[in-house]
Amino acid sequence: MSDAYRSMWQELGLDLDAHDMLLGVLGNAYKEIYLAQKGRPEGMGYFDFVMSEVHGLRIKELMDEKAAGRKIVGSYCVFVPEEIALAANATLVGLCSGADFAMEEVEKLLPRNTCALIKSSFGFKLGKVCPYLESADMIVGENTCDGKKKAYEALGHLVKNLYVMDLPQVKSENGRALLKAEYDRFKAAVEALTGVTITAESLKAAIQTVNAKRKAIHRLSALRKADPAPISGLDALLANQVFFYDNPARFTASVNKICDELEQRIEKKQGVFPAKTPRILISGCPQAVPNWKLPFIIESSGAVIVGEESCVGERGTRNLTAESGQTVEAMMEAIVDRYFQVDCAIFTPNAERLAHIEAMAAAYKAEGVIHYGLQFCQPYLMESIPVEKALEEKNIPCLRIETDYGMEDAGQLKTRIEAFVELLK
Amino acid sequence: MNPGAEVARLLDSFDNMAEQSLAGLETAKAEGHKVVGVYCIFAPVEMIRAAGALPVGLCGKRVEPIAAAEAELPANLCPLIKSSYGYGVTGTCPFFSAADAVVGETTCDGKKKMYELLQRLKPLHLMHLPHGPAQPHALAYWSAEIGALADFLQKLTGNRITDESLREQIRVQNSVRRLMGELHALNAADDEVHLSGMQMLAVMEAKNFWPDARDYARRLEALIDLLRRIPARVAPMHPRRRILLTGTPVGKGAEKVLRLIEDAGAVVVAMENCTGLKSAWSLVDEDNPDPLDAIARRYLSLPCACMTPNAGRLALLRELASLYRVDGVVDLSWHACHTYMIESNQVALHLHDTTQTPLLHLCTDYGRNDTEALSTRIEAFLEML
Repeated sequence: MSDAYRSMWQELGLDLDAHDMLLGVLGNAYKEIYLAQKGRPEGMGYFDFVMSEVHGLRIKELMDEKAAGRKIVGSYCVFVPEEIALAANATLVGLCSGADFAMEEVEKLLPRNTCALIKSSFGFKLGKVCPYLESADMIVGENTCDGKKKAYEALGHLVKNLYVMDLPQVKSENGRALLKAEYDRFKAAVEALTGVTITAESLKAAIQTVNAKRKAIHRLSALRKADPAPISGLDALLANQVFFYDNPARFTASVNKICDELEQRIEKKQGVFPAKTPRILISGCPQAVPNWKLPFIIESSGAVIVGEESCVGERGTRNLTAESGQTVEAMMEAIVDRYFQVDCAIFTPNAERLAHIEAMAAAYKAEGVIHYGLQFCQPYLMESIPVEKALEEKNIPCLRIETDYGMEDAGQLKTRIEAFVELLK
Repeated sequence: MNPGAEVARLLDSFDNMAEQSLAGLETAKAEGHKVVGVYCIFAPVEMIRAAGALPVGLCGKRVEPIAAAEAELPANLCPLIKSSYGYGVTGTCPFFSAADAVVGETTCDGKKKMYELLQRLKPLHLMHLPHGPAQPHALAYWSAEIGALADFLQKLTGNRITDESLREQIRVQNSVRRLMGELHALNAADDEVHLSGMQMLAVMEAKNFWPDARDYARRLEALIDLLRRIPARVAPMHPRRRILLTGTPVGKGAEKVLRLIEDAGAVVVAMENCTGLKSAWSLVDEDNPDPLDAIARRYLSLPCACMTPNAGRLALLRELASLYRVDGVVDLSWHACHTYMIESNQVALHLHDTTQTPLLHLCTDYGRNDTEALSTRIEAFLEML
């Protein structure tokens, strides 16, 4: 940890002591959860490096970009279109929301019965430990669920540059028109922020950049269909998590490099777990860095995770934006078409999600589904019971987990998951 | 009859309304009218009536059907949603049984997702609310939803909704809203209190069940006239504390907090919630040449916590707090109602900064387990005032 970083963090207004503590905890967790895994692909070395520099080198890069006139846009949700940010000469980064921090302070502003992800995003702000948030020129909130929608009202008092995007809750013509109107408004807001007008060329290039990133993840996902699994669920999740932070082109190249290696592994029938290890699909709420609790418990209980039906996973990355548009307007329509397919549980009805879970279970040859619900996340918890019923009707065992970021229930979860894995054998 | 007995008789007639209205609904159905069940003040009753159908409030205020609902809904969900669904699924709400269709609305995540299950039991038309009433697209979005409701109602009833019938129903509903305001105003007029919160609740809740809106208005008018002529009922005022109740809806079966406040010696002089003044405070513009546009605008302005930002509620609370010279505000959130729970902090700060009114936030459900604890907190709050 160089002194240069410390002065950078100080300039960003971070609480250095608290931040040191956070990095210490994060480093230890990474060591125990990630580095302790056996037989990892060599290409994961890149992600180890990224994680070791997640608040260092990457922030330095963002600060350099800012110095060169680019703007940084922070986001909490996969509905914020990266294409628009990139096309207007801005960099989109995901904001920290995967760990409990400064909870006492948070619970002065938000009810205790708020989901861990929302509380975490407040904790990182109040604790002054998220350099992404502090370096962002614009923070985008979005009206997805009740919790986030109302929490942004409070966040607006904590940060100066909050921009709130409205979202529809229904896949109707009217709903699509709302999303289009909001993406047009967002485009104008980003253009005003950067002073750069989006052109057909810049938008096309941005769409291609983001699509390339998605295609690399698609390639990685497809390789996880192999038995034995060539990569752990934890490592694949990490790639999906870093998707939100890294430089897009470098990320794409690094994931593709891992895929080359995985292809060789598959040819040699080399896996991170033995063949016939029970295969599990995770479905439900997002798992933001460093929320590795559930996958760690699953993969240390004799199973391998082969897919994530999640915003940090296939729900977030699965569709490409059409590249064929020739005008800004045509490409904006294509962007709306692409994001309007995201089957988040805030939509009603949301039958597409159930169909996707079933399709993923079949494609990745998952023997069971673990539904991951964050406590108090009503949209996903409300869907979890119908999802479980529908899967069981198709003879796909499903385990519903409801938890938070704390470790208090780790032992109990392990017992339940071990029993579930036993049942899959 | 002496005035006191007359007031009691009038109040009783509101109290027993749910039972009486069932008979009325049966008659109306036999005459070919459709019955449309509603859960929420966002359902435009003018439109339902203008289509020749009868709107009726559906059950959702009692604890009994919750256990049945929890077979399909997470236990950690607001009791109002669980109770509503439980009534439907157990077939124990006669209004639900009588309804030909239900109009729902996407106010909160819990209700929105509950309707996905409820629509298997009853034809359901879902109205999609925008989240941000001040967003540039909000009115157009909501207007399209109003249009879709008109289509649905016309198809259901086979009647055309005419501008004339809409205007007539708007006038009737506006008069009911004005009377609700006047009824509340009796408690603002002087230091005496004419109606307790519990009495007020029965009167206001009856509105949701009354098949004939004009008849309801007439009875309300009679009650107000009588109360104006006789001395205040709930006197003496001192040392009773004047409380404004706000937050999630209350009703018969879910009146626990209201009862505890009044049992502790205070009076709820006004209610800013869906059962109370939230729905009575704003009128539909009778001069707008396009009545559907007038309806869209009025309903979009309802200050529900599902809206972001919800500046209207802060303004309304501030206004009511001074108008009714309240000593304190009690903000009730049903357990797991994220929108009202999160908004509470803002409400407390706003009232503190503007009118210096103290606020007590209570979070509870329909059960009785926490009655003691709630009592203690309420008593301590009243003591502090």
